[in-house]
Amino acid sequence: MLKRLTGVACGLLLSLLTSIAAAEVVVVVSADNALDSLSRAQLSDLYLGRSVSLPNGESLTPIDQSDRSPAHEQFYQEYLGRSPAQIKSHWSRLIFTGRGQPPRSVSDSQAVADVVSDDRTAIGYIDSNQVPVDNTLRVLDIE
Amino acid sequence: MDPSVLFAIVTLVVLAILWSVTFNLIARERAAADRAAAALTVDVANTYEAQVVRALREIDQTLKLVRYDLRRQSPEESLQDLADRGLLPPALLFTVVVADDNGDTLAANQDITAEERISPDTRRRALQSASMVVGKPQQHPDGDETLYFARRFERENNRHGLVMLMVDASYFVSGYDPSALGEQGVLGIVGTDGVFRARRSGDTVSVGEQIDYDSWVMDDLEGEAEVQLNRWDNTRRYTIAREMYQYPLAIVVGLSEREQMAGAVEARRVYLWRSAGASVLLIAILGLLGWLSWRLQKERSRVLEERIEHARRVEYLAFHDSLTELPNRAFFSRLLTQEMLQARRYHRSFALLFLDLDRFKTINDSLGHEAGDDLLKEIAARLNRSVRDSDIVARLGGDEFVVLLPEIRVSSEVAPVAEKILSAAARPFTLVGQEFRVTVSIGVTLFPKDGDDEQTLMKNADVAMYHAKEQGKNNFQFYSDELNTNSLERLSLESSLRNALEHDQFRLYYQAKRDMATGQVTGMEALLRWEHPELGIIFPMQFIPLAEENGLIIPIGRWVFRTACQQNVAWQKEGFPALSMAINLSARQFIDEHLLDDITLALEETGMDPRLLEVEITESMVMHDMQQTIKILESLKQMGVRVAIDDFGTGYSSLSHLKQFPVDTIKIDGSFIHDLVRSTENQGLTKAIIAVGRSLGLRVVAEGVETVGQYDCLRGYACDEFQGFYGNEPLPAEQFAQMVRQQEK
Repeated sequence: MLKRLTGVACGLLLSLLTSIAAAEVVVVVSADNALDSLSRAQLSDLYLGRSVSLPNGESLTPIDQSDRSPAHEQFYQEYLGRSPAQIKSHWSRLIFTGRGQPPRSVSDSQAVADVVSDDRTAIGYIDSNQVPVDNTLRVLDIE
Repeated sequence: MDPSVLFAIVTLVVLAILWSVTFNLIARERAAADRAAAALTVDVANTYEAQVVRALREIDQTLKLVRYDLRRQSPEESLQDLADRGLLPPALLFTVVVADDNGDTLAANQDITAEERISPDTRRRALQSASMVVGKPQQHPDGDETLYFARRFERENNRHGLVMLMVDASYFVSGYDPSALGEQGVLGIVGTDGVFRARRSGDTVSVGEQIDYDSWVMDDLEGEAEVQLNRWDNTRRYTIAREMYQYPLAIVVGLSEREQMAGAVEARRVYLWRSAGASVLLIAILGLLGWLSWRLQKERSRVLEERIEHARRVEYLAFHDSLTELPNRAFFSRLLTQEMLQARRYHRSFALLFLDLDRFKTINDSLGHEAGDDLLKEIAARLNRSVRDSDIVARLGGDEFVVLLPEIRVSSEVAPVAEKILSAAARPFTLVGQEFRVTVSIGVTLFPKDGDDEQTLMKNADVAMYHAKEQGKNNFQFYSDELNTNSLERLSLESSLRNALEHDQFRLYYQAKRDMATGQVTGMEALLRWEHPELGIIFPMQFIPLAEENGLIIPIGRWVFRTACQQNVAWQKEGFPALSMAINLSARQFIDEHLLDDITLALEETGMDPRLLEVEITESMVMHDMQQTIKILESLKQMGVRVAIDDFGTGYSSLSHLKQFPVDTIKIDGSFIHDLVRSTENQGLTKAIIAVGRSLGLRVVAEGVETVGQYDCLRGYACDEFQGFYGNEPLPAEQFAQMVRQQEK
């Protein structure tokens, strides 16, 4: 009996750990980029289409993932505090009123990693569990 | 104008202005809000239309771009290629699909499920149309309403395919700006088929309602916004529904009337409240002012009334006697003059009655002025009650009254009135708790017979009145010319009385008092006579009232005492028996504070034996102030002086009072004796008086005994002494002495 309970508990703990591991979304830039941190507000501005000026005077081009990718929801929820529906509504209004276009969207984390590693000015987010952060990428500290 | 009316009118006018301005402002505010809302609606509509047109154009451009690209490569390659080049709209919102004529997907930039596929109806229309078709809203499994935009394209084998773009219906209303449209505004697009493709109010997006497109949508670009009832949600809005030229759609823009007018409604509320407040304040202020002015006016009129009342009072007082409320001398003079004018004009005559109270001075002096005033008031009231209302009663001053009887034809008409006055005045009075009788003497003159001017008429009435007094008072006398002569005598009497003492014109006569049993002289009563150089002997009743009036009674009284005492002493020295000397005191003398001193002085100066001196006072004199009387009488007693009550029986005092007074003698009044023989009533009274006197140990003296019958009668009653012509008339000192000497022989 005790053995069975222990088994169930171990199983629950394991599944919790894996789910946490599955939600490991990080913000990355090219390893060539000197930038190592961004504020949450700056990140938010970048992904909501507002212009952001960085201390070194360089600009960043945000890369998004398709809203069908799990990382999409996790990223917006975790870093911007907004639901995908809110994000959709936001861009819907901006596009309709002609005030802006959403970031370029790619299918998944791997595609993001590919784009970012090739482009010094690109910034993106990836699920670090799916795509390992290699030496072509640098994970940004989001303060 | 009455101030209250004035204030009311001012209030109403100001209120009318205030409220007309208020309603005008409200109307203006509303009109401004209305114009602003309409203008805003047009602005929003213009902006929205431009946005919708651009959005549709972008969609159409995409469809055309894909259709063009499909000519050179397969759908899959084409969409991938265009996506890579960034030529497709963002996949986040827009799904681009290429399908065959059955609707089966040939390629898509995002996977779509079977439920998401274009509806057969839209597909059919798109295949038949050469231009872009806008599908009716389709609901997705996740609940989102989506719209299909489709264009057909040529495929091989003369078959058609469709290039389609799918987007959330909410995209077309995502420009909804609450700051302009509020929570109840509306933004939407509607197909020419009357079906809403998208509609948003606040945060609520809906699709699909059917409206009557033709009657509702204008194709006028400059259309004004009108307030309409939007039937789909029963809200009144400034609404613009405008058809777009290139596309089978119309835009709908509406601003909620309630929201747009909220400011105006609030302003209206504020204006109304302010005006109401201002009205209340105004009414309060003007009401207060009105009230104050009303008070002021009232106060003024009150002060005015008081002044008028005061003036009336002053006039009344000027013409009326304050004590009796009767017209005074001045007013009466006026009335008399008027009456004379009237009488002369209409050849009438009238009577003037001049009244004087008998003995008033005595009452005033002995009882005090207050009692005298009460008496005058009562007399005035009685006079008024005794005459007709048309007759005039006035008080000339002091105890003098006049009565004017208008329209008297003959003198006999006056008599009943005069009689009535006499009897009214003679009824008893109660003063300071005691009963009194007062009588009046009346002199009557007739106008114009006895005088045709005021002065003569009044003077002659006065003369007649004095005549009445001389006739024993309590009667009335008509004026006659003979009286006037006597009156002149009276006037000279008054002036010569003042000189009488200096010129030694007074004489004392002595009347013997005899013992009833023996007929012997026991004493005498000293009687004053005035030997006037021209008028001869004048009796006291003619000048004593005058002397009491002018105060000469005091020195005259002293003279009487001294002379009588000297005479008595002289006779005693001559060897006469111990004859008593009786001296009368007048009322005024009796209350004089120096009376006792004067008597003491006279006794000391002459050396007379006080036991031989007897003072006679009347019954009415002792009754005025009993305490004072007893005090005086006791002092006299201590001095050894005897006291007699004169005229006993005429006053109103009870016999029982008698024993309280330390008197020695009572003298029965001559009026009882006069009718003694005939009147059994007088006999009874006389007997009773004698009996009481004896029982109290007093000597009883009968006065005025004139006949043998009276003498016998009194003798029978055992009266002590008597006086009168039967005994002896008053004689000068020398003759009296001879009479005594003869008796003694």
